[in-house]
Amino acid sequence: MAKAAVIEEAKVKASKPQTVWIGNGNEAVAHAIVQIGYDGEGYYPITPSSVAGQEVAKAFAAGKTDIAFIPATSELAAIGVCAGMAIAGGRAVDVTSANGLLLKAEEMPAIAGLSLPMVLNLSTRDVSAPLNIKNGHTDLAACLGFGWLILCAPTVQATYDMNIIAIKLAEAVNLPAIVAYDGFHTSHANRKIKVFAEQKDVRELVGEKPKGLSIFDVDHPHTFGPYMNDDLINTKVQLEAKMARAYEVLPGIFKQYAEHSGRSYNFVERYGADDAEVIMVMINTGGETAKDAVDRLNKRGEKVAVVIPKVLRPFPEKELVKAVAGARMILVGERVSQYGATNYLANELGAALQRVGSKAEIIQRTYGVGGLTLTDDDAEKLFEIAIRWPNVDDPDEQRRKWYYGAWPGDIESNPPVTIEAVTARDKQLNIGQDKVNLRDLSEMTCRFEKHAACPGCGIFVNLNLFLRGIDGPVVLMFNTGCGMVVTTGYPNTTFKVPYFHNLFHNASSTATGVVEMYKRFRKQGKIKEDITFIAISGDGGADIGMDQVIGAALRNDAFIMLEYDNKGYMNTGAQLCYTGIKGQRNSNAYIGPQQKGKTTHHKDTIEILRGTHCSYLFQAAESSPVDMIRKARKAQQTARDGGFVYGKFWSTCPLNWGMKESNGPAAVKAAVDSCLFPLYEVEKGITTLNYDPEKRNKKVPVTEAFKLMGAGFGHMVKPDFADVVADVQGEVDRRWKRLKGMAESEIL
Amino acid sequence: MPEDSKFKLPFEDGLGFCNILLSAIGGDGANMAAKMLFKLGVMKMGLDGGYDAKYGSEKKGTPTDVSVRFCRDGTVVRSVGPTTHPHILVAFHESLIKILRLNKGLYPNAIVIVNSTKAPEKIRDILELHSGQIICLDASKIAEETRSRLNMPMLAMLCNVLKFPTEAVEKAVEKQWPKAAEANIAAFKAAVNSAQKAEFPEDGKYPLVPFSRVRGELGYLNALPGGAIEALKYSTVKRNNSEARQGPCPIFNEDECTNCGMCMTVCADPGAISWKDKKMQGVDPSFCKGCMRCVVICPRTGRALRDPHKKEEKTQQKDKNTKALSR
Ligand SMILES: Cc1ncc(C[n+]2csc(CCOP(=O)(O)OP(=O)(O)O)c2C)c(N)n1
Ligand code: SF4
Ligand code: SF4
Ligand code: SF4
Repeated sequence: MAKAAVIEEAKVKASKPQTVWIGNGNEAVAHAIVQIGYDGEGYYPITPSSVAGQEVAKAFAAGKTDIAFIPATSELAAIGVCAGMAIAGGRAVDVTSANGLLLKAEEMPAIAGLSLPMVLNLSTRDVSAPLNIKNGHTDLAACLGFGWLILCAPTVQATYDMNIIAIKLAEAVNLPAIVAYDGFHTSHANRKIKVFAEQKDVRELVGEKPKGLSIFDVDHPHTFGPYMNDDLINTKVQLEAKMARAYEVLPGIFKQYAEHSGRSYNFVERYGADDAEVIMVMINTGGETAKDAVDRLNKRGEKVAVVIPKVLRPFPEKELVKAVAGARMILVGERVSQYGATNYLANELGAALQRVGSKAEIIQRTYGVGGLTLTDDDAEKLFEIAIRWPNVDDPDEQRRKWYYGAWPGDIESNPPVTIEAVTARDKQLNIGQDKVNLRDLSEMTCRFEKHAACPGCGIFVNLNLFLRGIDGPVVLMFNTGCGMVVTTGYPNTTFKVPYFHNLFHNASSTATGVVEMYKRFRKQGKIKEDITFIAISGDGGADIGMDQVIGAALRNDAFIMLEYDNKGYMNTGAQLCYTGIKGQRNSNAYIGPQQKGKTTHHKDTIEILRGTHCSYLFQAAESSPVDMIRKARKAQQTARDGGFVYGKFWSTCPLNWGMKESNGPAAVKAAVDSCLFPLYEVEKGITTLNYDPEKRNKKVPVTEAFKLMGAGFGHMVKPDFADVVADVQGEVDRRWKRLKGMAESEIL
Repeated sequence: MPEDSKFKLPFEDGLGFCNILLSAIGGDGANMAAKMLFKLGVMKMGLDGGYDAKYGSEKKGTPTDVSVRFCRDGTVVRSVGPTTHPHILVAFHESLIKILRLNKGLYPNAIVIVNSTKAPEKIRDILELHSGQIICLDASKIAEETRSRLNMPMLAMLCNVLKFPTEAVEKAVEKQWPKAAEANIAAFKAAVNSAQKAEFPEDGKYPLVPFSRVRGELGYLNALPGGAIEALKYSTVKRNNSEARQGPCPIFNEDECTNCGMCMTVCADPGAISWKDKKMQGVDPSFCKGCMRCVVICPRTGRALRDPHKKEEKTQQKDKNTKALSR
């Protein structure tokens, strides 16, 4: 029987005290960030990495770190903040996943080119349409050519360890480094691990940040980031040299880390039979899980092993070739595909093996993307395929490249039609009507049906009410957020009208594209239908997508954009949105000795858009349903007349506000009555107040709203928040006065 | 320092793990309970293992899987994600058993804890359990009566079957939720005292059901390009929201209703309030998630629309006039 062998996990005694710590991969990242003592972090939430940043924010509020933690308005903004910190000589860190990574893409090669060491934690996730939030390495694969160092962490323990190793390596060679750990499988896995007991030991190990050129050196000013032409080729050589240098210094760093912590790492880990004939190569949790299958197969006398690369850049060619030596068959499993070509790791390994004249057969499997978790049984099946290949029963599995876990579907299936489309062509409830009779509007069929939002969620209260004021066919376009996630869980949909979700931030631009084609095809006589186009976003979508909203408003594109403002990024777990109230508790703006929740006043989106001079802007609330319907009618007319409309609702989120569901209507009313959310409209620059709580003697202090809005706001009525509340009240009153002034003027 | 390293797990699979699966819906507190259990096992019982959740975008009311796998300290913990082969199954809602086919992957002689008013014999048939022990407790009622949360009685029973020492468990609960300590401890006691248990030795009545992943009828041969959904055929209309509802629907009394339309303007689950010929028809329980927004806004609240939780309002003829519609 083959002997099980472990390359690397040599037992070393730690010279610095280690302690047991329990938590998940994201928390381990945050723990390392705090211990390392970074100067700053730019942050933008995205599942499954969000908690890694939230935990740092929590530690900040508690006074456990003095890091400059900046919640940015997008991932690109967040890493831009990091680049600024780094050029200023600060030690910067970032965390992200999937779409977030791709949004940062432009800054990635720039940071490497600028020679700025920093660390980016990548909690891997697939990037796709249809949207998926689970695992996949599309994001990681995109980074392979960015000039960043890439370390892979297969376990929660390694996620912590690699963070400390990464910053040391990055600063040793002046390159940025990625620590890639599997989204959900590691980020959300709680494990018992060992960590440095003393923060000072981590800081000592990492050392002072080496002095580089500084933007603060006013005596010897440097120009960073010039324009470059033919010389560019030389920077590539420099990058290559730094990678080569990283390959040289990394073993020393691994060794030093092992001496301090007692935990050793290497470029590559091999686990299984010494004389393995069949080897599976997988990074991260896939490889780790496969070890259990290896044990079982080795016991049965199968000569198999698993090889787990822990470093992807610099690519450890020599070590990998050595690790797979002796294999006749190599299965390279990747959580990503390079469609129409050999996959990434298989390609690089294949080329390396060819250079040493290896005859090993390589087959490839894309596995474990989306919701599919690779179990030890799955790993065993993959080994069995590799052992017998190509003599396997399943014709799909006879292919050299295939997708493990994919299924063909039942081509015979033809489910019955269960609903009728809602065209509302025959409904003339709004067009040309002056009076609003709510009872009559019960005749308008709802355009959607049975969503999975939390009980008492305000999103569909607002949409339902607003859409009752819109006659005829509509097309809906959503930004990513709760509204889309709870309505379209494949294979079923809530919508009875055409619907499109594109990305988190660009429903506005998407709508522009759709509307342009609508106009064009109508002119060509290809479409007769009178369609109203509505783009829908959360307030978060209007943070990250503000530039694109402004673009649509500046072009005055003929559609209606609606924002349900629930004061946070609720879909990803209640991180702050710039619409949030100062003092509000968020999952990345905590309350503690060093922080009192959100530190800035709520964003005034309508006033930002006023400067675009688009056709129609409004704020509406469920507390004034007749007003809401009037605004819907006006919005539809405006879009039909060729103008852009932006409307905003105050939308309840009982789950993340910690509010009793039935408090919703009263909480919205209090927000309106306190002037936190004035009901008004701006038509071609002219302001009208639709509801004046002062005149009606209904104005209440902002605390009346906070009292009703649940635990996320309730603390603000307590005495130690008196200063914050006074500040909020002052700001609300100031804005209200300004608004009244504009409403009174004939030209504003 | 582990206080009890001699502790023995009730089950061990080939890799040395005792697998526990908690099946619940968002808002039940299953995650918190599992996390506490895991910490307790590791810090106090000298165990190792993993706590993994099949996290989605967890909204209140959507199903969620949480798993805790325990092993002896020193066993390597490698695999990730919720267990596919539970020894112990904890169902926070009886209804989840059928919807999620919770008998899949269960070991023979499993222990199953269910929040239900039904007898274990009945649950066995619903679950189609091969063999093992079923423990039923009315955890919803216990939670309500003790003013605790659903996760507490369920956690209590789980700790009980794991044979974690009561004192250590109660101490941990107190530490984790100091403000609700009294209520939680009361829920713990009530759970253990009221549980009904029955053993079901292997009798051939139900086969073992292997673990399998759900494979829909749409696959790579027939799914529409780009994952598009044919709305007329694949509509959520088939779904029954009452699974996600926390508590009952409002009660409607036609005689008291003025058909003003206000309830329609605030309903969080549009469609839950049915109208016909401009007349309010009632609340459709397959839509309604019981938020009670409509009740608070109704000008004739307590009469036309009433929260069944609130007893003070006088509506003797409530049942006579209640219309529970289903489509
Ligand atoms: C580029 C990018 N960054 C981040 C995300 C993750 N993400 C999805 S929804 C969301 C928050 C949405 O917030 P909001 O627009 O307020 O809608 P809500 O969740 O409150 O419904 C975030 C951060 C993403 N999908 N894409
Ligand atoms: S988290 Fe908030 S916004 Fe999202 S579905 Fe639930 S209640 Fe609605
Ligand atoms: S709000 Fe009350 S009175 Fe008005 S239609 Fe609804 S149930 Fe009838
Ligand atoms: S309780 Fe009322 S408002 Fe809430 S979902 Fe049910 S019918 Fe709609």
